[in-house]
Amino acid sequence: MRLEVIFKILGVVLLFNAAFLFIALVIAYSNQESSLIPLLFTTLTCIIFGLFPMVFSGKHEALSFAEGITVVVSGWVITCVIGMLPYLMWGGEFNLIDAWFESVSGYTTTGSTILNDIEALPKSLLFWRSATHWIGGVGIIIFVLLILPHARNARITLLNTEMSELSKSNFHYKARTTIQILIVVYVGLTLVETLLLRLAGMNWFDAINHAFATIATGGFSTKNSSIAYFENVWIEVIIMVFMLLSGIHFGLIFGTITGSRYNIFRSKVVRSYVVIMFLGIMLVALKLVINDFYSWSESLRFASFQVISVGTTTGFATIDTAIWPVFTQMVIIYFTIQCAMAGSTSGGLKFDRVYLFIKSVKKQIQLIKHPAGVFAIKMENKTISDSLERQTMLFVVLYVFTFFITTLLLTTMDIDLTTAFSASIATLGNVGPGFGNVSSLGNFDGLPNLAKFILSLNMLLGRLEIYSVIALFTIRK
Amino acid sequence: MALKLKTKLLAGFMLLVSLLIVAGSVSILEFMKLSTSFTTILENNYKSIEASKTMLEALEREDSGILLLLLGEWEEGRKILHESDKVFMEAFTVAKKNITEANEDELIADIQRKYLHYKEKWARPIVDTFKEGNIDWYQSNAHQEFIQLKTSINQLMSINQESLYEKATLLKDNGHRAVMPSIISIIGAILFSLLLNFYLNQQFIFPLKKLIKAVKSLNQGDFQVQSSNKNKDEIFQLELEINQMLKRIARKNDSR
Repeated sequence: MRLEVIFKILGVVLLFNAAFLFIALVIAYSNQESSLIPLLFTTLTCIIFGLFPMVFSGKHEALSFAEGITVVVSGWVITCVIGMLPYLMWGGEFNLIDAWFESVSGYTTTGSTILNDIEALPKSLLFWRSATHWIGGVGIIIFVLLILPHARNARITLLNTEMSELSKSNFHYKARTTIQILIVVYVGLTLVETLLLRLAGMNWFDAINHAFATIATGGFSTKNSSIAYFENVWIEVIIMVFMLLSGIHFGLIFGTITGSRYNIFRSKVVRSYVVIMFLGIMLVALKLVINDFYSWSESLRFASFQVISVGTTTGFATIDTAIWPVFTQMVIIYFTIQCAMAGSTSGGLKFDRVYLFIKSVKKQIQLIKHPAGVFAIKMENKTISDSLERQTMLFVVLYVFTFFITTLLLTTMDIDLTTAFSASIATLGNVGPGFGNVSSLGNFDGLPNLAKFILSLNMLLGRLEIYSVIALFTIRK
Repeated sequence: MALKLKTKLLAGFMLLVSLLIVAGSVSILEFMKLSTSFTTILENNYKSIEASKTMLEALEREDSGILLLLLGEWEEGRKILHESDKVFMEAFTVAKKNITEANEDELIADIQRKYLHYKEKWARPIVDTFKEGNIDWYQSNAHQEFIQLKTSINQLMSINQESLYEKATLLKDNGHRAVMPSIISIIGAILFSLLLNFYLNQQFIFPLKKLIKAVKSLNQGDFQVQSSNKNKDEIFQLELEINQMLKRIARKNDSR
């Protein structure tokens, strides 16, 4: 493994972070905030460590698979370490573990927070929190691939390791074009949502921050009571629409805009995803009405926002769902497990895998009935290979195993089952809020430091789709 | 254009030095802020709190003086009142010169006005007048004003105590912010040194070792050192020079 090549790409990762840190620095300077020095110091550290490998490294073309995996995993870890420095240096509610948790939660677009008083943060740090979402949403490595010069082969290797097979399924282009489409859709959606939120009554600062958090399916808000603070139905509608869009495969969104035959309306997976989401909303709303929680209109409003928010792994809140009936919480937990589509900014298991898993189970049942039969699984009119099917089944098993182990570890610290279970699944799925002590309007501050650390690893595992991490540690073997 | 080894090393060290300079400057700046905050707390709030306490004590003694006058103890009462008045005015002057908080000036003016009213009550004769032994006069006049004045002084103390607490919290944060750059730059410098060591080995030591090995393994008649260095740096030039020298030796050998 050529460490100098890995260090060079990691240097670009740091420089990319430095660009956003610089914007936060400008905000801190213009408002004369107490976060000025922490941001200045972090920006310079990023620039110095980013430039250093470039001084010593020459041009490198290809990357091996092992190097690609190392770049992707260590890129995410280094980014999270750098991301926590402004919090750690600023102080306030942040200690070492809390700063790390907030940073990992930001980059992995989980949106879980340890902050009790979000509004006490300087504007520049609020921006930095949202920026970590935006950088991590489409994937820091994707951004780096766009700016990595003279590295066609490296680009292909990194794209293959950063994006799963399912994520690439609706892109019918070369690596560079795929990356460009991802970025164009990502930036486009962010700009449009910012504008609409501004028109709906948010100020520019809140509009940008909430657009960053929505499109990245993150969930960090600038307000203690999240979206509930605004009490504005139009803001809720705009955020719902963009959460839903951000949970759909970006290749299909691009196809819809450009009039390609690979578009949202022709995709069976999108149709199933939307139908299941609609059913979830109706079930939750119905139960809320039956239990006399709210009127029909209020039930629909709250249910649709919460189900879409959790179902797309965003995690914004308009109400505290911890007080809702257990049935509605179970429906929401289902969406926490299912998550949104591959090829979007959402994390976790992904709806495509659930879809493929169900089809695979059906195929196995048919094989039991007709052992000599040959059955193929089709997704979007394409036959799924046996290896992809096996990979998906294994991923589902690994996913369930991971969150079971995490829940078990949390319960050893005397955390109640609801909190332990929902926190594990919400962090592994990069959703954010759970139930119990970590509900939609609550936070993770009350958990022991070790629990926060385990959950932060969970977030990274969820974002890196488990396989990359396993591959990194088994590469030599 | 490929950088020479000298330039690379210089650039690497310059980056390390800049990290340390930034960390040092930030820490010095934050420690200076810390020192200023200490001074501010001592000068702005602590003095006012002490002055308020002195005023309250003096006021209590003035109240005792009035009670002594009511009991007909003219000499003792007047002595206490004059001494306490002097102490009160000295403390009041300190507080008046040390207005640092919002609305503190209004409170000082209020205390001054109320004290003058209060002073009027005991400055006029009490002994041998209808006031002597008149507890109703004391309750409705002197004691009422004493209570009101005390409330105002307590308010003055309170706003200074609140500000002191806020500044102490800020001081804690500033202390944290002063120490953190140093801690991070120490960790950064360690990482930087490890990285530098890696690059020195990779760019300098390994190519040199390879070169030594190549020179050692030169066969008779094979006067060529195979370059393994991709960078056009000093070691690459050294390889070229050795090859040139070997060619010259080979030519000399041939001419013999």
